[in-house]
Amino acid sequence: MLHKTCLTALLMLAAALLQAQEIDLNKMLEEEQKKEDQKKTNYTEATFKTTRIINGHSIENLAPGIMDFKVSHRFGTVNGGVYDLFGLDNASMRMGFDFGITPRFMVGVGRSTFQKQFDGFLKYKILRQSSGYKTMPISMALVTTAMVTTLKISDPSPYYFSNRLQFAHQLLIARKFSEGTSIQITPTLIHYNYVPLATDPNDLIAIGIGGRQKIWPRVSVNAEYYYLVPGYSFAGTTNSFSLGVDLETGGHVFQLHFTNSRGMTERTFITETTGKWSKGDIFFGFNISRVFSLKKKPKKITGA
Amino acid sequence: MKVLLLIFMSCCLSAAVVQPGIYTSNNGTVTFRSEAPFELINATSKEMKGAVDISKNNFAFRIRIRSFEGFNSPLQREHFNENYMESEKYPEATFSGKIIETINYEQKGKYTIRAKGILTIHGVEQERIIKSEMELTGKSILISSSFTVLLSDHQIPIPRVVKEKLANEIKVDIKTELLPK
Repeated sequence: MLHKTCLTALLMLAAALLQAQEIDLNKMLEEEQKKEDQKKTNYTEATFKTTRIINGHSIENLAPGIMDFKVSHRFGTVNGGVYDLFGLDNASMRMGFDFGITPRFMVGVGRSTFQKQFDGFLKYKILRQSSGYKTMPISMALVTTAMVTTLKISDPSPYYFSNRLQFAHQLLIARKFSEGTSIQITPTLIHYNYVPLATDPNDLIAIGIGGRQKIWPRVSVNAEYYYLVPGYSFAGTTNSFSLGVDLETGGHVFQLHFTNSRGMTERTFITETTGKWSKGDIFFGFNISRVFSLKKKPKKITGA
Repeated sequence: MKVLLLIFMSCCLSAAVVQPGIYTSNNGTVTFRSEAPFELINATSKEMKGAVDISKNNFAFRIRIRSFEGFNSPLQREHFNENYMESEKYPEATFSGKIIETINYEQKGKYTIRAKGILTIHGVEQERIIKSEMELTGKSILISSSFTVLLSDHQIPIPRVVKEKLANEIKVDIKTELLPK
């Protein structure tokens, strides 16, 4: 009796041992990967394809050592008719150079033909959206832009250089909802050192909202709207609304859009827009962005 | 007698917990190169996971696509993940199957082997026989291999604009050391 029990027990154990060796290597590695991923933080990349949504800043920063050369054109209004070739005869241009300094900090300078402005900005990323070990639902950045109008002013009263300066301070709050959809909110404060009328405010407030929707590989639709807070805006101005398409190739991003804003600097398009979409005061424009690496090429990786 | 049986059973149970014959690694190196007329691109990952079961002569390898670094610029890496590999949809590449040759894992030495299995990249499976060098040191298994991957085999299209900057034939080198689990 005992002999039989021993034998049965031994056989059962042998069966159990054999089963323990039926290991699916793939499953084993997959589980190990999952455990590792739980300890890893994934930072969201490419919320937008370039550092501007259309006219205004996007949450994107340039990586350190990267220079972005931006050429932007805005034509005249399309309601000018065939005579002006629907605005194409009147072109204003901005040329800019943006530089990535650290993973969180970038700077840029530019010049617009419209009112002969120079502009320069500093942008710092405060929060990065991430998932995994450390989660953060949004990305957040701070941008400060200084603009100076160098147009000759014929004003009888003394006109100081500081009159020509305006400053824009913006908080960019963005979230990439999915691979193809991103939304950004941009509360903005613009300070004018000098305003033409005593009744004009020196500090203007606007709330921007913009987004990107990918429609097929390398192509997306972008939209941007800046709402001027009543009481903190100039009389007779309208809210800036722009709608456009982004096309991405190897090193270029082409942005083609329609907007009711004539200017390309923060103070001109956010607080000095007078065009109305309903009246056809629509400007066709495009931005071309070309990215260059200023760093030396990485050392040649020797083969395995 | 009962005591003997109890001792015997506990020995067997503890043996069942050990996994004899499985060698693993989680820091294998993979380097790939694209050599096109106007551009050379290369990138490396040091996070390849691998496992070989010597009792069954089969293997499995997997690598996270986002772990590749190198490239000619951060933008190129972004395009690699977003537009070409679609790492969001297909986060890993895998290769698993059986080693064709019968190896005596007790004997130290260098062997040229053929690994036959399914290579999955960008979600597309291809059956491949990949020649590799395997070295048994007695304490570990060293594997190294060089092979080619065709982007067209894995449904990764090359846009006409970058035809001269990206090769369809990608050269891949792997090197890993597996230790007993």
